[in-house]
Amino acid sequence: MKISELAEKAGLRSINSCPDREVENVYISDMVSDIITTAKANSILVTLQTHKSLIAAANLVGVAMIVIVKGRAPAADVVDLATKTGIALFTSDLDTWSLARKLTQLGLE
Amino acid sequence: MSTCRHRWSMCNLRAGYLVVEGCPECGARASFFTTEPVPPIDEYHEGKHWWIHLGSLQSVKFDLECGGCGTLVNLDDMNGLMLSACTDPECGVGALVRQQEPGSLIYVALCADSTHADGKCVSPEGIEALTQYFNQNLEGLGRSVVVVPCKLCNSIDKCRGTVIADVGLTDL
Repeated sequence: MKISELAEKAGLRSINSCPDREVENVYISDMVSDIITTAKANSILVTLQTHKSLIAAANLVGVAMIVIVKGRAPAADVVDLATKTGIALFTSDLDTWSLARKLTQLGLE
Repeated sequence: MSTCRHRWSMCNLRAGYLVVEGCPECGARASFFTTEPVPPIDEYHEGKHWWIHLGSLQSVKFDLECGGCGTLVNLDDMNGLMLSACTDPECGVGALVRQQEPGSLIYVALCADSTHADGKCVSPEGIEALTQYFNQNLEGLGRSVVVVPCKLCNSIDKCRGTVIADVGLTDL
């Protein structure tokens, strides 16, 4: 599924402008040490975190898009870094569980 | 010389704390990794240094192993990674940052002793394997990373960048 299609179906709000890519799987974590060791390339990362360290780690594993839950908003420098690395940033008002259920219903695992 | 086109994967994962210490006498920074449940905060003398605890961050250590030939690269000498934002024209890392094309970023592999007084830093084998490993993840994305040892930096204690470590929800 393309990022744009997923964003529309899941009701996500875009934070930055990035290339529209295929996403293949979902990973949920709030710890960068976990992300860097476990997340996969072309994945959707669902997290509460908004720290710049998150982007630095996600870039190393080839994460395609990050969805920040509970309506949290990253700072401008975090958005800039995400754009520079080509990672699409989105926010959702849902909590992690509710968003995970929605992604599962859309066929993502 | 190996002819294997290495396909690296992480192994020997250890979760723990990255403890950062500073010497107020000379401004040096040092760090070590511990798997103790509570990271130590002791102050102590070591040679000319008086090490004071500056902070602890949850972190992870790992080694890299090639699935093709079985080569194991030990990364005990690396305590962390930092995405560089250096703009210092006098700094070796800053010079590399400015030379990168869009989509290519410089990550600095941090060793334990910022003074590099004993000449040691992250090994060349470790740097090469880290660069290959992370670029494996980015194949076909039009993005790349270059990993460099922290000894390339003019002053790692003053370097601008984002250290990859776990932070709380209120950290900026």
